Amino acid sequence: MRTLIFGAGNLILSDEGFGVHVVKYLEDNYTFPEEVELFDGGTLGIMVTHKIEEAERVYIVDTLDTAGEPGDVFRYEKEDIMLNRLPVKLSPHQIGIQEMLYISEMRGGCPDAISLLGVIPKSFDPGNELSPSLNEKLPQVARLLVEELRGMGYEIGEKQSSALN
Amino acid sequence: MSKRITIDPITRIEGHLRIDVEVNGGQVSKAWSSAQMWRGIETILKGRDPQDAWSYVQRFCGVCTTVHAISSIRAVEHALNVEVPLNAQYIRNIMIAQHSVQDHIVHFYHLSALDWVDIVSALKADPKKAAAIAQSLSDWPGNSEKEFKAVQDKLKAFVEGGQLGIFASGYWGHPAMKLPPEVNLIAVAHYLKALDYQRKAAQAVAVLGGKNPHIQNLVVGGVATAINMENLATLNMERIAYLRQLMTETRDFVQKVYYPDLIAIASFYKDWFKYGAGVTNYLAVPEFAEDTKNTKFALAGGMIYNGDLATFKPITTHQDQALIQGITEGVAHAWYEGAQSLHPWEGETKPEYTDFQENGKYSWCKSPRFNGKAMQVGPPAQVMAAYATGNPKVKKLVDDAAAKLGIGLKDIHSTMGRLFARGVRAHVMADLSLDYLDKLVANIGKGDTTYANPTEIPSGEYKGVGFHEAPRGTLSHWIVIEGKKIKNYQAVVPSTWNASPRDEHGQPGPYEACLVGNPVAQPEKPLEVLRTIHSFDPCIACAVHTVDPEGKEITKVKVL
Repeated sequence: MRTLIFGAGNLILSDEGFGVHVVKYLEDNYTFPEEVELFDGGTLGIMVTHKIEEAERVYIVDTLDTAGEPGDVFRYEKEDIMLNRLPVKLSPHQIGIQEMLYISEMRGGCPDAISLLGVIPKSFDPGNELSPSLNEKLPQVARLLVEELRGMGYEIGEKQSSALN
Repeated sequence: MSKRITIDPITRIEGHLRIDVEVNGGQVSKAWSSAQMWRGIETILKGRDPQDAWSYVQRFCGVCTTVHAISSIRAVEHALNVEVPLNAQYIRNIMIAQHSVQDHIVHFYHLSALDWVDIVSALKADPKKAAAIAQSLSDWPGNSEKEFKAVQDKLKAFVEGGQLGIFASGYWGHPAMKLPPEVNLIAVAHYLKALDYQRKAAQAVAVLGGKNPHIQNLVVGGVATAINMENLATLNMERIAYLRQLMTETRDFVQKVYYPDLIAIASFYKDWFKYGAGVTNYLAVPEFAEDTKNTKFALAGGMIYNGDLATFKPITTHQDQALIQGITEGVAHAWYEGAQSLHPWEGETKPEYTDFQENGKYSWCKSPRFNGKAMQVGPPAQVMAAYATGNPKVKKLVDDAAAKLGIGLKDIHSTMGRLFARGVRAHVMADLSLDYLDKLVANIGKGDTTYANPTEIPSGEYKGVGFHEAPRGTLSHWIVIEGKKIKNYQAVVPSTWNASPRDEHGQPGPYEACLVGNPVAQPEKPLEVLRTIHSFDPCIACAVHTVDPEGKEITKVKVL
């Protein structure tokens, strides 16, 4: 089974890059078996649909505009997206993650298991670092993903050099 | 009585764009284009190592990652007068052309087709007739009755299940929709299929770039793609064969599916060759460098004024001083401090937000001008420049389509003309990709395996500009280097040219000008405005990407 961790976002607009930061953090601190792919999807949306279609299980990490405090992390499953519980008018791109999943579904290529982990951002200012409240959440989101993958039977090691903060 | 319509945001584009139009008697009489996102990302480059700039700037934009990398590396190379080995130029050219192919496929099918194609009408189509029409357009093997029937069945299931999803917000049944059900079905089937081919183009870029999105193989002075035909870890015979296969498949899709679909759809919308001209001054820079000094190019650049090919002034090199000196950016109506126009090397990015003031400042977009004139950039500019210089392939495509559709070169100044020019460009890009692969193999065959001229950044002050004719038009990155660090950096991107607000003399930008005179049948469903704006393929160059679940009944589980 191929599992994809898809980090979405823009790395140079501080918290907007959260998904990509998570992918980089995982790469830096853990070792993964071949069947788990970490993917820096940037903000391409529909142009990277194939990455989703190639996997059997997908975790998307992105920012989320909803009520709550910066750093709050929410989770959605595929049915929330497909049943319009996560409405279509979503990202400023309008061809964002959701539209991409719809098209995949219509093509018959969309995997059954998709989870979206979304964090509420604090700042979209230019900069390649996360704001403190999101930076604090980074290891926790990474740990959450790692634990879930371990629960699925994947062997995930921790890199020696890293001090998990 | 005039009516004011605000569309905010414009959907199916990159970035956040607001368009305001004043409608009088069913026609647009005035328009405002407003980029609704702070675009100060250049500021984070100040003080960094110029060798790393290309890597950062790939994150400027959501889609055009490769193009910013290319422009940036050229800016540093121009500043330091570095030559680029032929192999590196060919490798860059293949990546540029394949990126364009990918970009144009996605624009045609996924970003603009739904303005012209009525998805729901496809349910009424006869798949057999659809197959007969598609097969009359080209010999592409995917156009079978079975294929069209399968797509229709799937579409039916989605509609019956209330899962129209992405399509739910479309203007179905709008009086401006003109395609017969069969053509709608063909377009929907190819819309789904197109994803496979944009992916092959992305893979081709990744074979050379190491990664896509965000290529990894550039260095100041060339590429980091080691060449050794016998070595498994480098660019070798096996990789080249794989590349050739991917690029051949995408070429066939572009030339046998996308282009025929475009011509077929355009034939039902000939009136759209009349609307949406706007600014008919055009600017394109030469592209596909074929020597080591960026002085010899496959496709010409140049300026055309008032839509008149007789005014064509060619640009033959990226060192053209009239071009370099002629570009300025104004902020009279943009949310930045000051009112004067500055050359990009002196450019500033100091925000001064006021809210939307239709006679004052109303956009985050600056107003680039060439010698004080508003210019339109993009595929029409490049196609006309190529036509003006007698490029045989471009000439043939334009003349053939003109004969088929009963249009002339002047009809390129229009909404449909822009879609047509992009199709011509995609056709050319698909061939050029394979052409540069042949040239690369031939050059390596001669024994030349050089792929970079390693370069140290010297101390002192240097200024450079990197021009690139990107899918959306002329892109330029401007760099000032001092003491081995970046002192100033400005990107003048194609959508800034086209989406620009009025300048200090009140001249509107291309989006604003092109909407004037456009029909609007139903102000509450301004499909015609979307058609014209989408024809530019807007890419409001700062890619914020937040998921925004604004519905009421959301199942949201807080996990941390």
